[in-house]
Amino acid sequence: MTFGSPAGSAGAHRPAPRGAARPAGRVAGTARTDAAIWTRGLTKSYGSRRAVDHLDLQVPRGALSGFVGPNGAGKSSTLRMLLGLVRPSAGRGYVLGQPVSRPDRYLHRVGAMIEGPTFHPGLSGRRNLEQLATLRGIGGWRRTRRRDRVEAVLAQVGLTERGEDRFSSYSLGMKQRLGIAAALLPDPCLLILDEPTNGLDPAGIREMRTLLGQLAGAGMTVFVSSHLLTEVEQICDHLVMINAGRMLFQGHVTDLLAAEDPRIALVPEHDADARRLTALLHDVGLRVEMDMRPGPRDPGAGHEYAPVVTVHGPEGLAADLNRLAMGAGIALRSLRSHRPNLEETFLRVTGEIDGDLLRSDPLVTIPDASVPPAGAGLDPAHSRGGAT
Amino acid sequence: MINAFRAEWVALLRPRFLLGTLGAVLACAVLGTVLTFLSVGHTDFDGAPVTAAGLSQPNGLIQGAQAVSILVGVVALSVVAAVLAGDHGHGTLRNQLVAQPHRARLLAGKLLALALFVVLVVAVATVASLALSFLLAPLKGVSTAAWTSSAGAAALAAGFLNLCLGSLGYAAVGVLAAIVIRGPAGAVAVAIAYALPVEMLISRIYGPARGWLPVQLMQEISNGGSSYATPYTDALWRGLLYGAAMVLLAVVFFRRRDMTS
Repeated sequence: MTFGSPAGSAGAHRPAPRGAARPAGRVAGTARTDAAIWTRGLTKSYGSRRAVDHLDLQVPRGALSGFVGPNGAGKSSTLRMLLGLVRPSAGRGYVLGQPVSRPDRYLHRVGAMIEGPTFHPGLSGRRNLEQLATLRGIGGWRRTRRRDRVEAVLAQVGLTERGEDRFSSYSLGMKQRLGIAAALLPDPCLLILDEPTNGLDPAGIREMRTLLGQLAGAGMTVFVSSHLLTEVEQICDHLVMINAGRMLFQGHVTDLLAAEDPRIALVPEHDADARRLTALLHDVGLRVEMDMRPGPRDPGAGHEYAPVVTVHGPEGLAADLNRLAMGAGIALRSLRSHRPNLEETFLRVTGEIDGDLLRSDPLVTIPDASVPPAGAGLDPAHSRGGAT
Repeated sequence: MINAFRAEWVALLRPRFLLGTLGAVLACAVLGTVLTFLSVGHTDFDGAPVTAAGLSQPNGLIQGAQAVSILVGVVALSVVAAVLAGDHGHGTLRNQLVAQPHRARLLAGKLLALALFVVLVVAVATVASLALSFLLAPLKGVSTAAWTSSAGAAALAAGFLNLCLGSLGYAAVGVLAAIVIRGPAGAVAVAIAYALPVEMLISRIYGPARGWLPVQLMQEISNGGSSYATPYTDALWRGLLYGAAMVLLAVVFFRRRDMTS
């Protein structure tokens, strides 16, 4: 994968195209200074368990990058290492061009909220921020400057009115906002957020999306871990996907989705026609599979299930498939095209839950039409490490 | 370090926390002073007679506060352990370490603020005890003339200094417990359990251990070397060494340890 923004996907907050302008054999030393986050072989072990396993991260500067993975994938451990909270067991890492072993060299330019918003419950939101502003030396000895900065970040997250309330009285969404306000205090050039939309209502999520877009648009690199893959798909131009501490993919979201093959699902009117339709489509050279255990039939129809024949092909093939089935005397109950979104891709790649085709029960397949294994469609050698 | 020191005061001046701490030491001071004056004509905890003449000496003014030096020390230990371990427990330490990645500087600033807080708390207890002593003295026929003399002022200053040093020694135990255990309840419980029953039991079983057990030495310092057989100077040096070792150990732990949830 490259980090170059494909035409049509570039937005105001997206990084400038890079891949095409750079030689493939770019030296590591240069790449790590260009990237906001750069790691090679980053590993963290807790006893015999490897939370992070030789992670090669490369988050370009100015990107709004999503960091996704199932629970326990190693996201928080990775973020902790990047923030100097835990020491890597092995490997190298650089943040803003500085080694992770010296967080004092870069954390003054980094804002972070990790593992949820954590503040003194008995202090107001404003006082909590003032404490962190004092600790960061914001405004020096001038209380006015410090307070101005606190007010600015409170306004940025919409908490000005509730600033004097105790943190313990905040809703989860307000706590998240305060956590983001704290991360914004140093006016960072790299913002690292761990699940910032947790507890936010739909309106809050939309505001967060807008805020992150604005921050990235202003040149800030935003590295955000999230379980809300729809949000990540909407707002992030760059994506890092890990599982069991290992890199599954990093690069542009569009590149990831483009690697996923589009499919067309055909449901014959009569179940008995499913095998015949599958063989017919296979004979004309299409990659096809049949699922005998698909979704429920219409209520009251007598049968519980109807088989689905899935063809791997673009949407434009749908009319031809329909004609082919009709020509063979097979009537179709339905025909729909489908391109997996990020959530489906994530679930399939991580093997977490079934997508349309990946289910817990075995599928009925025919020769040369096997169900792709978890991770198929993503060339690990191609995506791993995400060459610049 | 200065920023860490200033920032720590924001947390220390939380109204509930401040009022709770001051309430505890004021209660200790009142208890110690009232019981000291009520003991006139009786014997103290160690069996020594308490007389009006004895309390009329220049050092009589500070005796009320010194009588409860253990309790004041325990308050100092608990406050420090609760604050430091609370940062771990609430997760606020993560934010602080991102804001100030120099761990030694962060901890140094915190400890400096906490040390000053302990001194102020002891000062409040001492002032309360002094005021109450002047009120109770006439009721028990205790003369206050020597208290207001220069010798009285010197004895008061020395007594206050000893109380502060002793309480800071207790606080050092709290620091180590907080950094090692990282949970406020556990840190306070373990630290108090060690400081009170464990050390007291050991020293009861084997008397000479009093001269070498850290909390017993802090107690000796608080009382100005008048409690046990250990000379004050020996107790002071040993106590200072123990305190420095505990803080040093805490700094090493704090710097090297992973900050997990």
